[in-house]
Amino acid sequence: MMKVMDRRTLVARLREVVGAPHVLTRPEDLVVYEQDAFLVAHASPDIVVLPGAAAEVGTVIALARAAGVPVIARGAGTGLNGGSIPVAGGLMLVLTRMNRILEIDARSRLAVVEPGVVNIDLSAASARDGLFYAPDPGSQGVSTIGGNVGNNAGGPHCLAYGVTGNHVLGMEVVLSSGEIMTVGSPAVDAPGYDLAGLLVGSEGTLGVITRITVRLLRQAEAVRTLLAVFETIDDASQTVSEVIAAGIVPTAMEMIDAVVMRAVEAAIHAGYPADAGAVLLIEVEGHVQALPGLMERIAAVAKRHRPRVLRQANSARERELLWKGRKEGAGALGRLAPSYYLHDGVVPRTKLPEVMAKVAAIARTHGLVIGNLFHAGDGNLHPTILFDPRQPGMLARVVQAGEEILRACVAAGGSITGEHGVGIEKREYMRWLFTEADLQAMRRVKDAFDPTGLLNPGKLLPDVMSSGAQADVKSPAFSVRPRAGLWS
Amino acid sequence: MEQNRQPQIGNGDRGDASRRDGDASRRRALVQELRRIVGDAHVLVEDADVIVYEQDGSILQAMPEIVVLPADVTQVSEVIRAARRAGFPIVPRGSGTGLAGGAVPAGGGVVVSLARLNRLLGVDYRNRTAELEPGVINLEVTKGVAKAGFFYAPDPSSQAACSIGGNLANNSGGPHTLAYGVTTNHALGVEVVLHDGSIVWLGGTVPDVPGYDLCGVFVGSEGTLGIVTRAIVRLMRAREDVRTLLAIFDSMDSATQAVVDITAAGIVPAALEMMDKTTIEAVERGAPAGYPRDAEAVLLLEVEGVREYTERALRMAHEVCTRAGARQVRAARDEQERQALWKGRKGAFGALGTLAPNYYVMDGVVPRSKLPQTMRAVAEIAEQYQVRIANVFHAGDGNLHPNILFDIRVPGALDRVIEAGAAILRACVAVGGSLTGEHGIGLEKRDYMEWLFSKDDLEAMTRVRLAFDPQRAFNPGKIFPTPVSCGEVRRAPARIPEGLWI
Repeated sequence: MMKVMDRRTLVARLREVVGAPHVLTRPEDLVVYEQDAFLVAHASPDIVVLPGAAAEVGTVIALARAAGVPVIARGAGTGLNGGSIPVAGGLMLVLTRMNRILEIDARSRLAVVEPGVVNIDLSAASARDGLFYAPDPGSQGVSTIGGNVGNNAGGPHCLAYGVTGNHVLGMEVVLSSGEIMTVGSPAVDAPGYDLAGLLVGSEGTLGVITRITVRLLRQAEAVRTLLAVFETIDDASQTVSEVIAAGIVPTAMEMIDAVVMRAVEAAIHAGYPADAGAVLLIEVEGHVQALPGLMERIAAVAKRHRPRVLRQANSARERELLWKGRKEGAGALGRLAPSYYLHDGVVPRTKLPEVMAKVAAIARTHGLVIGNLFHAGDGNLHPTILFDPRQPGMLARVVQAGEEILRACVAAGGSITGEHGVGIEKREYMRWLFTEADLQAMRRVKDAFDPTGLLNPGKLLPDVMSSGAQADVKSPAFSVRPRAGLWS
Repeated sequence: MEQNRQPQIGNGDRGDASRRDGDASRRRALVQELRRIVGDAHVLVEDADVIVYEQDGSILQAMPEIVVLPADVTQVSEVIRAARRAGFPIVPRGSGTGLAGGAVPAGGGVVVSLARLNRLLGVDYRNRTAELEPGVINLEVTKGVAKAGFFYAPDPSSQAACSIGGNLANNSGGPHTLAYGVTTNHALGVEVVLHDGSIVWLGGTVPDVPGYDLCGVFVGSEGTLGIVTRAIVRLMRAREDVRTLLAIFDSMDSATQAVVDITAAGIVPAALEMMDKTTIEAVERGAPAGYPRDAEAVLLLEVEGVREYTERALRMAHEVCTRAGARQVRAARDEQERQALWKGRKGAFGALGTLAPNYYVMDGVVPRSKLPQTMRAVAEIAEQYQVRIANVFHAGDGNLHPNILFDIRVPGALDRVIEAGAAILRACVAVGGSLTGEHGIGLEKRDYMEWLFSKDDLEAMTRVRLAFDPQRAFNPGKIFPTPVSCGEVRRAPARIPEGLWI
């Protein structure tokens, strides 16, 4: 990329656009933005800008483009794939100041929000109208709607409600040219190409989202939560498979294995037995009259697999406690090891028992402890490898084990990510799922939106493979390239 | 962006400029090549043969130059390569039931009919997916899996005739879209052939595969990006119980208010269909269903699910309708009564023929909460343009189908009808709605796209188009606004096919 504006001029212009306090350039300020929740890589941005409005975003992008500096959008930095790590340096656009809920239209059941709105704040604000925003990633108390859209985030209740893409109606996007475009519409299924669908999950590589129209759902009349404790993870997996096969669609069906259960019990005393093999948390929603029958049918399925305990939450407080164990499970893992690598694979539901056995075998082979807490109903696994990064050679082993787990998912007909996205972490693994021709189709779309590769370079798509070359995924898949040395 | 890649909105989208009309030898060579690829019997060139392909379910017509019917993906790929080498545009076609002129070859060229790619390739009940070719008829999918207790949810009213490929191209809906969503919500992956004949997979066998959602981009792209040759679709479990209710209203306002209130009460009907007085008159003349002729509107509601839910939802809907001012509410007690309630709705379009020789069906969408005011606007437009309008529509989705009744033989009638149609769609857009709910843009509404999208928005779409199809070889003249209308296209009277219900 050509340098046509020096750093000093760029920073001065940026300060004029967004105000001096919102442009960060000192190393001690920048270091905060060098990492997201992908704990095994980091790289520092050259400049951080916190714009306050879409027009400012447009101007900042136009300036970055003129200066030939990459632009990386960032929400709350809770992403798990390194998607917001500035691998080639550049200008980071942090959208947390654009955090207003612009409109809640209860009649049409939609909300218009800025990208920096925190996920749970939207549900809280729409609760007084009896509505809620369905996608509920584990990070929902912190993560932003913009980041959720960028990664097409999921959550425990995606089993019934679908991932973020199913809830985005339209958005305003600033393109790499600095132009502002709107895609989608408040009415569902706008005519023309589904560009809203294209932008959801594009991980900041096609444009920077500055406003989002999302669907709100009506809160269910009643909720029932069932805790089922099993002696083995296999019994729990079979139960999941059979509940779905019986034609029941719970709103959530979450599994927690023994490793995680022990951590959770030590941390928050959610009432999980510490010596069992696996816990299933099953939730159903709907009309009051319909729920007891549904619960009975689910219990009948579970009983075929020798549950040690089957317990319904008897109050809202009990329900919250059961969920607290699930939602804070990842945090509780800190009790067991100084660091962890949280994976995200998907398998067809019917392959759950087989793949869970494979994950356990991989842990044994590499001498690692792997905890599992995941969206069992979706077949969306989150094997979490616990480790101590200070041990020499440990990280390489962890990465190798993670790769083997994802390979097992793909071999079972699944995919390399359910809800966390690709980022830098899984770029090379995309070749397992897609042929070079498939990837080329995606690259053409990237070029159509961002012909100079200004936006979030080095993410999502693997580099073009020269003909005849073999994919080299043995080398660290997410190697952070040396900085381009923009103004060193 | 380089200057020469700047997309040309509008005037560039009229087929490939390298093609020279009247280049007979080139055409002959292409026909020979196509015959070699698919066999003599599957290339049609005589006027008497290709005329069958000049029209779809819209009021627009244009003669194709060549019609070719490939049998598999390899042939599709070779056909595309041959047509591209010869500089002919390519127009994909399923069953030709589209209502927006999407399959009408506006700039001539080769019509590629996918009717022979009609195999159901496999069903995976455990993971609830089916793999099929684009020519499979929609209803055949459900028929094929019904015994095992499953169904394919998108149910356009043409489902006995239309193909899955056509449904994918138009992102088709249907009465049960209210509960289950449109085609894109049920398409997991597609195999497509691109402009250079390359074959790629978009999407996968599970939902939400990583990378750009190009399967989502293809669904609803109306054949402008490439040709789908295989699809993996989601299957759903048949519901335990279905209950149906009919409510009769003395005013359209209270009927539309009931629709708003039903959804506000948290009931998600599987279908919520409305017919107005004009339609009731037609039904009672053509296919009597026992609707009172002096009623202003009837609402047909269906709920599906577990028995405990359906009973309760039906009771709640009954109360809401009564509160909104329904004159009468009837619930079906058995399957026979249920069929009787649906009979009027299903026969409605055919019955419109008893009121006028021709009709023009519109397809607008409005936010549900704007239904009452939009229906009033439609009535005002009917008065202003001196046309009669019958409303039969998917009320629960806010998806209107105003049918403008007319007689093509009356001079000037068709023009007035088209103007009234445009006014209706403008009214939909004005309240935050859209130009089409389920029929697509095609030729019919491409010039209205500017009401909904800015120049920048359309340019972004054009860039995506060109990323897939740099020569605009696929289905030129569709979706994108074109200032000069294609001379080849003629308007024709809409015929009401037997048994069609929309």
